[in-house]
Amino acid sequence: MKGYRKYFLNKLLWFLVTLVFAFILNFTLPRLMPGDPVAAIVSRLAQGMSDATGVQAIYQQYTDLFGTNRPMLEQFFIYIKNVAQGDFGFSFSQYPRTVADVLKSSIWWTVCLQFPAIIVGWLIGNILGALAAYLKGGFDKVLMPVSIFVSNLPAFGMAVILLVIFAVNLEWFPTSGGYGFDLIPNFSWGFTWSVIVHYQLPFWSIVLVAIGGQAIGMRSMSIYELNADYVKYSRFLGIQDRKIVGYVFRNAMLPQITGLALAIGTMVGGALVAEIIFSYPGLGSTIYTAVLGRDYPLISATALIITLMVLSANFLIELVYGILDPRIKAAQAD
Amino acid sequence: MKHTFQQIFRSTNYVIGFAIFMAIVLTVIVYPLIITDPPLEIIGQGTFFEPGIYVNVYDSIGSSPNTLMLDDAAPKRIASKLSNDDRLAMKDWLVAAGIPENEIDIDNTKVLLDQWERNYDPTQKIAGMTNAKRNYFIRLNNSLKGLLSTEGVSIAVKNAETGALEETSVVEQSDYVNIRQVPNVRVLLLGTENFGRDVLTELVAATGVSLRIGFVAGITATLIGLTLGLLAGYIGGLVDDGIMFITNLFTVIPSIVLLILISFSIGQEKRGAFTIAVVIGFTGWVWTARAVRAQVISLRNRDHVNLSKLSGHSIVHIILTDILPYIASYVVMALILQISIGILMEASLSILGLGPKTTEVPTLGLMLNWAFIYQAPILGKWWAYLPVIVTIALVTFSMNLMNTGLDQVFNPALRE
Amino acid sequence: MPRVMLEVKDLTTKYITRFKEDVYAVDHVSLKVEEGKTLGISGESGCGKSTLALSLMGYYFAPLHYTSGEIIIDGRNISGMDPDDVRKSILGTEISYIPQSAMNALNPTQKIIHFIEDVIQAHGPPYQTKKEIYELATGCCDVLGLPAEVLQKYPVELSGGMRQRTVIAVSVILFPKVLIADEPSSALDVTSQKMVIKMLKNLMEKGYIKSMIFITHELPLLYNVADDIMVMYAGQIVEKGTAKEAVFDPLHPYSKGLMGSIIVPEKGLRDVKLTAIPGVPPNLKKPPAGCQFAERCKFVWPKCKAASVPLRDVGYGRAYRCILSENELRDAYLREAKKDAR
Repeated sequence: MKGYRKYFLNKLLWFLVTLVFAFILNFTLPRLMPGDPVAAIVSRLAQGMSDATGVQAIYQQYTDLFGTNRPMLEQFFIYIKNVAQGDFGFSFSQYPRTVADVLKSSIWWTVCLQFPAIIVGWLIGNILGALAAYLKGGFDKVLMPVSIFVSNLPAFGMAVILLVIFAVNLEWFPTSGGYGFDLIPNFSWGFTWSVIVHYQLPFWSIVLVAIGGQAIGMRSMSIYELNADYVKYSRFLGIQDRKIVGYVFRNAMLPQITGLALAIGTMVGGALVAEIIFSYPGLGSTIYTAVLGRDYPLISATALIITLMVLSANFLIELVYGILDPRIKAAQAD
Repeated sequence: MKHTFQQIFRSTNYVIGFAIFMAIVLTVIVYPLIITDPPLEIIGQGTFFEPGIYVNVYDSIGSSPNTLMLDDAAPKRIASKLSNDDRLAMKDWLVAAGIPENEIDIDNTKVLLDQWERNYDPTQKIAGMTNAKRNYFIRLNNSLKGLLSTEGVSIAVKNAETGALEETSVVEQSDYVNIRQVPNVRVLLLGTENFGRDVLTELVAATGVSLRIGFVAGITATLIGLTLGLLAGYIGGLVDDGIMFITNLFTVIPSIVLLILISFSIGQEKRGAFTIAVVIGFTGWVWTARAVRAQVISLRNRDHVNLSKLSGHSIVHIILTDILPYIASYVVMALILQISIGILMEASLSILGLGPKTTEVPTLGLMLNWAFIYQAPILGKWWAYLPVIVTIALVTFSMNLMNTGLDQVFNPALRE
Repeated sequence: MPRVMLEVKDLTTKYITRFKEDVYAVDHVSLKVEEGKTLGISGESGCGKSTLALSLMGYYFAPLHYTSGEIIIDGRNISGMDPDDVRKSILGTEISYIPQSAMNALNPTQKIIHFIEDVIQAHGPPYQTKKEIYELATGCCDVLGLPAEVLQKYPVELSGGMRQRTVIAVSVILFPKVLIADEPSSALDVTSQKMVIKMLKNLMEKGYIKSMIFITHELPLLYNVADDIMVMYAGQIVEKGTAKEAVFDPLHPYSKGLMGSIIVPEKGLRDVKLTAIPGVPPNLKKPPAGCQFAERCKFVWPKCKAASVPLRDVGYGRAYRCILSENELRDAYLREAKKDAR
């Protein structure tokens, strides 16, 4: 592992820098509005709120949080301190719940849905693309147009199509929610089964869109690799086709991993909208209801959490790439 | 240049994509000239009218009728009131009531109705029949009254003085009206949506707005990306490092999160279509900047550039005359890509509720937003959202096709 | 009688293009290579040299197809053999191949030793242990002047020259009877060329390979490498003979033209004028009737274009493809030389 040190440190440094930048962005953007941010927010929000004591409490808490009479830098550090302690303040739309509380319940739904879905979609898409390049013929001619079409569908488009066909018309799957309305979360088999059933449509809509995008790219990479010199050479030395195919896909896979790291931000974005369509109790719906309720702290915190998730995923993928591509280790060794 | 154009138009991908795109654009431009109704005008009282041709009943009664004797008129009338399921249900009831099965012919309407009329008794208790089913049969029975009659329907008008109804005319079962003589006919190819607006007209207008938003967003993103890429690629050194640093930052932070934050911070009053477009452009320039920079780097050491440098031309001049023409192909492709991304981003934002203001113009994303809020998919009102999705898919698909075509022209290695 | 390592009889192979046309890239080629000897194949680009090399291996990948002919390696007829058997027992072990631009022929993400293991294991039981394979590999590296550390590296960590030698090592690791070297020196400078040739000869001496076919378009090189030389044109052999005969007494007008267009810094040739052969090779999709070289030949007669010209065997392995007799050709060349000298 010694050879990875430089690479690992490089990526870690980058992760931290981007993290700081994300915080700064999250902090400054809303504060760029002219006027007293607290009053502006509270006045907008007070339209929807009937609980006067609530409004007072929020105004007080928010002024403290903002510390609008203190210099910007100090406000920033207060913000960081609060976030580090997990204190995001109160949620306006779900008062008296705290933002942290709301997030805690929805973050796991999103993580368990999106990341497996993106990875599964990526895997299947790459396998299909590789097969299309290798088998050619009929399989390829069918896969290409289908992939082009699917990759052009936005994630919410696929979500709606699946919703309409499988949930509304065929009634094989429920149309919304993470689990049955009448169930209380527990670890019973009944509940678990309900969760699994509700998981299917959102999961597959994300997977299918991911497949479409990956298949085309992997096919091009594979075609390129299949025509490489080392393939011909290996063949003429008698190496079995099976083994050669293994070489080719290992090599074609590497740029795809990098591609995943670059695309994960967009994929998560699309997946969030898919969540909304299925009213899946994840971060997507949280943002949706937060926007409807003009719940500024919730929106801000959710945005931050999503950014953190994507950054971490990106970091992990880069690490994985470093391990998989032997040239990285080799380049470090000298 | 001419040769390049010829090549472009010979590429099948490009031509197909271009054709679809142009068809959409033409529709957007021409449609409002023919159908001048404002797109956001609410015409339906009530939600989600199905697509179809809506004929004003009052006017059709008032017009002079023509008599058409058509054989299938009566059966069609009966079939619309009495479905096959209904007939089977009637047969079941009759069998349960004691009529031998071989005497029941569900296809012979007259006989069936006869048997029904003679035997149906709403009070008769049939074993195992639920309340709901019993109510169903009562309703069915009511709807069958007069099904086989050939009498017409009387139209009566209230006498202003006496308040009594006076018959003015009779509508016979064989009366037909030429739809062209009815003054008020409204074709609603895609029905109405939740507010009661004509979906088709709204869709065309929304497509226009979305295209414009996409266009503005695309141009903004491409301009920013182009400038940054040029500067980073050509000047190099610290400028390059700095710009690449910013680019990498923006790559990792999901653009949708940025959009959400910015959009929300702007506040709803200020969110016009144009503003949103610019904001989308500000978050989408990353890919273009990278691609342009890569190209410029490979170009900057070419002979003609060195020649210009030796001739003493200024940096701006060199960039404009020596580098830009070579990256023009990339820029065009990037622009098309950014436009389609812009449209998608706007749609996503609007679905979230952070899109342009809802009162002035419709956009494709906004139409979807309303459809989802009002549960159109679950209610089965496909016309409120499916055409929108198809339009979005077609627009992005056609643009991607054009891009693939252009790619094949500019990059011969990709030609099949 | 020295053993014949490779004997090819009337081999014909073709390419089938995307549009279902047949292109006969190797047209009734016959040759013989004896143990300890090197056969040089020369000709311009596109004449079919590389295709011939591929055809000799006995394993055909679309769009290349076998049409007719026999390939006999050390007495064993491999034409018509089951492809899987060919892969296991012929490729690499009986007949092996060094590709053009060998430097790029290695899988960038695989260690050299792993690649060698794959090559050896691919040839069926008995499977050797990793230790045995490692010893084999180090032995080969020694002969080629490579340090044993090379085996643990990735191709990207080696210099171009080292990669070249690595590829040669892998190609000979199974002690093939025939080694086909396809333009092994074309990308190298003159000093490196010499080294490569020396290495190959060394391999032959040490018994790693029993015979060699050396393909190149550079004739002067062949003189130093090959015992016998074969000149190809448009998929056909146009001249066969010992190295000396082919270089100093070429019979076919094409070979003569080739020799006339190179600079040979040897005694007595200082005043020879350089000439190029005008024209281009024929389109193999629609080969012209008659002699393939007729369009560009200085000594062409009308009857050259009438019927296809057979290869004329004049004994002791010497052959050429022309309707004129040996003496007629030699006379014609002398007259040309006198004309130029004026």
